[in-house]
Amino acid sequence: MNTARRLALLLLLFCLRPAPAAAQVTVSGEATATLGARDESAFFNYTDYEHNALRMFRVSLSGMWRPVSRLAFVTELRSEDVQRVIPYALYVRVRPWAGRAFDIQAGRIPPVFGAFGRRSYGASENPLIGYPLAYQYLTSLRPNAVPASADDLLDMRARGWQASYPIGAKDEAPGVPLVTAYRWDTGVQAHAVAGRFALSGAVTIGTLSNPRVDDDNRGRQLSGRVGWTPLPGLAVGASAARGEFLTRGIGDASEAIFGHRSSGQQALGVDAEYSRDHWIVRGELIHNRWQLPVFGQPVIETPITATAAFVETRYRFTPRYFAAARADRLTFSRIRGEANFDGQPTPWDAPVTRIELGGGLQILRNLSARAVVQHNWRDAGRVRTRTFLSGQVAVWF
Amino acid sequence: MPSFVVVAVVFALSALSRPSALGPAREAATAPGPTSDAATARGPTIAAVTGTIRGRVEVRGSGGVREVRPDPGALGMTPMPDPRDRRRSVVYLETAPRGAFDPDEARRARMDQRNERFVPHVLAVTAGTWVDFPNGDKTYHNVFSLSKANEFNLGRYPAGRSKAERFERPGIVRVFCEIHSHMSAFIVVFAHRYYAVTDDDGRYRLEGVPPGTYTLAVWNETIHGDPPRRIVTIGESGGDVEVDFTIR
Repeated sequence: MNTARRLALLLLLFCLRPAPAAAQVTVSGEATATLGARDESAFFNYTDYEHNALRMFRVSLSGMWRPVSRLAFVTELRSEDVQRVIPYALYVRVRPWAGRAFDIQAGRIPPVFGAFGRRSYGASENPLIGYPLAYQYLTSLRPNAVPASADDLLDMRARGWQASYPIGAKDEAPGVPLVTAYRWDTGVQAHAVAGRFALSGAVTIGTLSNPRVDDDNRGRQLSGRVGWTPLPGLAVGASAARGEFLTRGIGDASEAIFGHRSSGQQALGVDAEYSRDHWIVRGELIHNRWQLPVFGQPVIETPITATAAFVETRYRFTPRYFAAARADRLTFSRIRGEANFDGQPTPWDAPVTRIELGGGLQILRNLSARAVVQHNWRDAGRVRTRTFLSGQVAVWF
Repeated sequence: MPSFVVVAVVFALSALSRPSALGPAREAATAPGPTSDAATARGPTIAAVTGTIRGRVEVRGSGGVREVRPDPGALGMTPMPDPRDRRRSVVYLETAPRGAFDPDEARRARMDQRNERFVPHVLAVTAGTWVDFPNGDKTYHNVFSLSKANEFNLGRYPAGRSKAERFERPGIVRVFCEIHSHMSAFIVVFAHRYYAVTDDDGRYRLEGVPPGTYTLAVWNETIHGDPPRRIVTIGESGGDVEVDFTIR
């Protein structure tokens, strides 16, 4: 809290400070009010801060101070549902050579993996209100608690909103998505553009599922993306990431018992975007692997995997009106328990399918309204299907 | 952090209460040029002997770049806007000579998209002009405007292609790229042809002005509220009149 207070003060000082002749100070704010039905039985749209993406009030304030053309300090502060203020982004950006499109960023930085995680929220870049499953849906995995057996993991199917396990932290807490879009990681990244190719790489202290400000396992994640623009309007990318997922205590226990650490997260992703005239079509496929230590019987056949894919499109009828849709699927690898499912191979978490349709109105350039209907299907859980209606008003300056 | 949340909310909500740059309040207040027959009738008629109004517009306190939003999601430097853009002004006659509003031949103008900037940043045209928007970059652009004076969306198109839009109604048209939020420009549409865009030094020159008394006004994107005005008289024998403006 104190850190956030200091950051806020610093940002305000940036705003008040007279800029040197060549310097730039830019400040922007955004308020997004999203209203929808409560979801306290299925938790389809809960995020890793235990807020509902379809029922949220969010305020953000971003600022950039660019004292010279090759140096910039960037920050974004966010508050969800009028609770704590989070420094979502806080980093320095440097361009070492003026004539080369090569940049280094250090601090709490945007993810290089995939495409959705870097898009701004509320304005024009998310055509709908909900997030893709890969970036939001809480699986039953936790970084600070692990199942002792396959049955422990199967017991938590469809309970990613509040999972608990016998090893590690004993409390009930939310699981993690494949790649969280609600927090950014801390570290250093480099980005270069050469012709039709863009290369990005990062070293961070968290992982895609669990980005962090403070280190909890002394591990480092390496992530990278290669982007290619073969045609104007078509951009494709391939991403990979590998890092230590579990907290230090669990990793150390695994190493002490088995002689090696089984605590990693690996991910591969491909993304594509094609746009022409008034159409945009985007899609991503993300495949995740987690290594878990196996402490008891029946063993978990690791690595366990999860695969998510979505396709979304937006069509703008006029400068003001648009329609959008997204189809989304999240699946999990199968494991075999004893007490659960008669020992039959079963996905370790419940697969989910989601369809979201919506439309919006751009009232002003900085004021938009949109409404969506979202339907979810899940293969397990107390509530297996649920339809949500949600409306959103977003304003920025 | 309740205190900061309050500050942030106030910042955000102030955008609603402030006249938007695209909103009708500002457009109405600064809409250039007379558009009514009454205004036409008040002006002198076009004569064979004409004069020139020239001078300089100095824009002070242009300060920070308001149109560019921070982009925390970017992986690299975004182009810096040219600070000269905000010093670009349009000087025009509010009361133009009779006949100045007569239908003119079809005109064409051009606004390039180059290095993720609109060039020129300020374009002044006569109503009825077609403006071409060629894409000179390697990436797609999507030119659009939500201004009431001329709402349009050209969609996304690649390098080397151009699309055009006809600007038929006088007023201020704010132009943006839907893909690159740091790109913005102004097209100022007049009902007559007595206007001039200032050069890099802020100088302007209005030629062919018939003898008579006029109200000379200046538009600049930093002006909020009424534009600065001067009463200017061109004598019967024509000649030059020098008028300078300072915008603070």
